[in-house]
Amino acid sequence: MKFRRFLGAFAVLVLATGSAQAADKDAADTAVEAAKKYAGTTISIVWEAGLQSLDPLNYSGPQWEKLTGIKVKVVEVPTDQMFTKIMQDFKSGAGAYDALNVIPSWMPDLARAGALEPLDKYVDKFGYREELQDIAAAYRDNQMQYDGKIYGFPDDGDVMLLYYRKDIFEDPKMKDEFKAKFGYELAPPKDWKQFDEIGQFITDKMAPKVYGAGFFRTAPYPQYMFQERFRMEGGKFFNADSMKATVNGEVGLKVFKQMLAENKFMPPGVEQWNFVDNLAAFLQGTTAMTISWPPYGRWAAGYGSGEEALKWVPKSQVAGKVGYALTPLGRPELGVGFDLSVSATSKNKEAAYLFIQWLNSKKTSLERVQLPYTLRDPFRLSHYASEKYRALWPDAPAYLDTIKTSGEKGLLDLSLLQQDKYDEAMTKAISSLWAGEDPKAILDRMAQQFDAITDKVGIENQKAVYKVWAAKPGAYPQ
Amino acid sequence: MTLSASLNAAEQRRPSRFGRMLEERLPYLIVAPAILILLLVGLFPLIYSLIVSFQRITMTENDTSLVGLLNYSELFRDTRLWASLGHTAIITAIALPLELLVGFLMAQLFIDRMPGRQIFVALLVLPTVISPIVAGATWRLMFDVRFGPIGQILSFFAGEPVRILWTVNPAYVYPAIIICEVWQWSPFMFLLLLAALSNVDQSQLEAAEIDGASYLRVLRAIVLPAIAPVIAVACLIRGLDLVRIFDIIWALTEGGPGSMTETVSLYTYVQGFSQFETSYTAAISFLVIALLTVITTLVLKRMELAR
Repeated sequence: MKFRRFLGAFAVLVLATGSAQAADKDAADTAVEAAKKYAGTTISIVWEAGLQSLDPLNYSGPQWEKLTGIKVKVVEVPTDQMFTKIMQDFKSGAGAYDALNVIPSWMPDLARAGALEPLDKYVDKFGYREELQDIAAAYRDNQMQYDGKIYGFPDDGDVMLLYYRKDIFEDPKMKDEFKAKFGYELAPPKDWKQFDEIGQFITDKMAPKVYGAGFFRTAPYPQYMFQERFRMEGGKFFNADSMKATVNGEVGLKVFKQMLAENKFMPPGVEQWNFVDNLAAFLQGTTAMTISWPPYGRWAAGYGSGEEALKWVPKSQVAGKVGYALTPLGRPELGVGFDLSVSATSKNKEAAYLFIQWLNSKKTSLERVQLPYTLRDPFRLSHYASEKYRALWPDAPAYLDTIKTSGEKGLLDLSLLQQDKYDEAMTKAISSLWAGEDPKAILDRMAQQFDAITDKVGIENQKAVYKVWAAKPGAYPQ
Repeated sequence: MTLSASLNAAEQRRPSRFGRMLEERLPYLIVAPAILILLLVGLFPLIYSLIVSFQRITMTENDTSLVGLLNYSELFRDTRLWASLGHTAIITAIALPLELLVGFLMAQLFIDRMPGRQIFVALLVLPTVISPIVAGATWRLMFDVRFGPIGQILSFFAGEPVRILWTVNPAYVYPAIIICEVWQWSPFMFLLLLAALSNVDQSQLEAAEIDGASYLRVLRAIVLPAIAPVIAVACLIRGLDLVRIFDIIWALTEGGPGSMTETVSLYTYVQGFSQFETSYTAAISFLVIALLTVITTLVLKRMELAR
């Protein structure tokens, strides 16, 4: 009897010690320990080509190999081909990719096709559920699951921020003249009317040296801007009962006309600007306002300016002069983002999972979002609060606070079955808008294309997916 | 030797039945592997695509049951497809004669011996060896509204800033594509026509000159008939290339603004590899094959080359 009692006590002690040890271990350490049994294998991961992939190529890939003995092969794919490549691999059954970077709005298509491995069992097996709670709600609650299952870990805090030139906005002469003309303070615009007035005012005063604003006007950004502004002005994409497109109403027309009119106070040729054109103009001080993803803020502050990989980024002429704010009307588009997923056709699923858990963990991701040369943006509460990050440049606390607030208020990208087709219709419509076609005619055509896509997918199928999406807090402003 | 002895000897020399069979069929046996590979490489995908075009394979559905002419009937309702065929026809109809004309004028210029002729010819042919996607990307930079040399040159002559959005403005987007296309492929026409012009009978040209025939008369009566077969082949090759045009447009406009410069190749690519309408894309391909076959046959017949 005594011996049994002793055994029982011993078992309790062992379990308690084990639990304590497990609790001490974070998700990164757990992943590393579990992955060591796969030492010598190679896993491949699809990653966006360009700066993004410098993360696994220069930092996380070599680190993971050093820690576990697992080699990482990075398959660089341009953003617009990632979906295609993932689907091609899945359809062919080749299993060429183990882990994937997936844009969250693709998740319904990829999950329904069976291309993504459900991750719930791995999350429980390797104790990752608790650390997932540290991911900001906007991403965790909206970009992680489909149909109640986890298919990817949100790994990039993409959200649009308004960047403005503090030196111009705080110039006493400009402030006085602006207030005298418009009757309110020269400050980051609260709505699009203010944005247009401020933009035009600065252009009138300072062009061609400085223009009021500049935007990334080629695909894909303008369609995210349209999605945000259309919803913030009260627009709905579809009639929830009939699933008929409703983008061509008064709201759509108003937004299209405003977007087109804004080009007039922007630098000539802005219709052709891409991400880099817009970045260069802002960093060189040619534009006083812009809206873009978080890396603009880091680079404008001069963070990482000595990096070899960032040599192509023009040296910031505006370091210390840039302010960060919410986009007009205060609900910015979350705009793209990335999830880390495991391919359903992978031959190394567990090793691939452990790699993405390690990448996405609190500890590793904090290092990754501070890499100056990649485009991963803070997405965890611990990232926003990190003292280390907040000390990186003088305005970093304001930058992180704005990202946090923007994320909390962020609007989700439309995410339906065959979303890429709706995206293509929007992209083409906006390109026709810049070409000078009648906005109403463009919107009518876009609505017809939406309806044709919905018909092809199946109205009832799409209605069910739209209902789930539209019920999310970030889908439409409440 | 008697006649019967000779016949016996001939009978003995005649190969056996197997030998005769082998002799008859050996050429076929030798070429059979090559034919088989050609069939596998060329015909199998064609037949497979044809089967797929009667199925309903999409991004999410792997439905291999036969659906008859469903995809083909959709083709006739697809306005974007017909618009893309129209865009392809416009580009072909403008670019092909221009390439021919520019190529011919260049060939006329270089037909006479001149110092450094070979170097000039080599330099002029350079555009054709560049990948079309690179040519398109280069011209995109040339047309750039801020940094592009074309805008700067026009501004210099105009005496004020000239800001043309070549890849955005509907009035300029086709000229931009055609300038790029003509720049890259006129040298191809030039090379062929230079060779053809070099082979025109000199005695006829000299006789015409002695008779006092004008340049245009010589061109119409002697030169053009002599080089007509080469022109026909060059036009056929370039015409087929133009129908398949993809890279230059992809790099310059990606089919935009909107779908304004989307050619049938771009549309097929978008349907097949961006939207994964696999069966429908196969049906588009067969429509294009059918159209091209009809056009090529008519053209060949017209040129009397079909013989």
